[in-house]
Amino acid sequence: MTQSHYSHLRDRWRARHQDIQRKLWSKHGESLGWLSNNYKQLVSGSLGGLMLLTGQVSSPFPSLSITRAQAPLVQKVDKKVFLISDLAKVLPENVRSLDVVEERKISDILSKAYGIKVVPELEGKRLNRSYGFIGAEQHLARYPGDTLSTHFDSQEDRKSYWQSGMAQGLGAWGYFASNSSLTWLDKDREKYYIAVQTFLSKDFNSRFAEYRDFYKYRKMLVVNPNNGRAVVADIADAGPGESTGKHLGGSPEIMHYLERVDGFLKGPVLYFFIYDPDDKIKLGPIEIK
Amino acid sequence: MSRKYFYTHIIDTSTLSLELGGMDLTPRERLHLISLIDSNIHHEILDLILSELNPEDKKTFLTHLTSGNHDKVWKFVNEKIKDVEGKIKKTAEDLKKELHKDIKMARGNK
Repeated sequence: MTQSHYSHLRDRWRARHQDIQRKLWSKHGESLGWLSNNYKQLVSGSLGGLMLLTGQVSSPFPSLSITRAQAPLVQKVDKKVFLISDLAKVLPENVRSLDVVEERKISDILSKAYGIKVVPELEGKRLNRSYGFIGAEQHLARYPGDTLSTHFDSQEDRKSYWQSGMAQGLGAWGYFASNSSLTWLDKDREKYYIAVQTFLSKDFNSRFAEYRDFYKYRKMLVVNPNNGRAVVADIADAGPGESTGKHLGGSPEIMHYLERVDGFLKGPVLYFFIYDPDDKIKLGPIEIK
Repeated sequence: MSRKYFYTHIIDTSTLSLELGGMDLTPRERLHLISLIDSNIHHEILDLILSELNPEDKKTFLTHLTSGNHDKVWKFVNEKIKDVEGKIKKTAEDLKKELHKDIKMARGNK
């Protein structure tokens, strides 16, 4: 079971790495912010400096040689560096609910970085928070009869995500499709789903129908503030419970992409509504513009 | 695959890579895990160094670091931090112990 050893250590050490990074930015944010502002003038190809600012760890794919990829890498890294630095200046040291001013600053930073409008409140509705710990969810059945053996489009996906398992129950809005003739949208809605604490929204019980319709497959931008990775996700389930200490859950694909893990090494994400009245923004990973 | 940093000459991570070598991993997987070890140690040491410096010295250190001149960085931290070598060694050893525990746990999960 090579995959088991590798994925166990990879996830654990990635989480540990992000934890150290968070500590670094929290303790030395001013100096690192200074470095990031002067990065272009200072850098001369030092991997030590690059790693310091981005947490960039070498690719698992040896064909991506650092030398060959250096020019585009630096351009790409610059954008992430600025985002991580900008977010660190606003985010509190400990993970807690953001106040209105912080939410506005963060939504401005994210909207600018990703080129889409994101907001903490949409159509007069907001979740209980916009910054919190994310836990790992399982795959959801997309149609009656969907199991782990029918769930994956490729061997690679099967290998990467089989072990997350299938949730016993359905998502909050039931199946994504009535039969196995799935559209790409059906597939993506399951692949990039999040579970949020809809039930903790203000006046949820008295406005149940309104909230139920609003939250169904509602698009949110989910961002790991420690590495600048972000996903356009959709709400497809409710949870986790308040007693878990977690504030939202991510599909196996989302957790993998954001490099977040569950358990005592769990980390925070930012999650904001996406203003997309024409439904043009695609679900899945999104790059900084 | 290990990169040269200003502290590379005083840290030995061979016990970890050897242990990974004895596991059922593809070369690509082993390489990736070694890079994660590298990066974890690197950031712990940076935290140690930055925690020992005043704001101006932090900037000087970061400037030297990004220049990639390891000798200059090493000289600077030795001037500014008492027993920096001992402190770096201890930080690395503590982390290595944790990483060894992780490997042991992963093997137990097989």
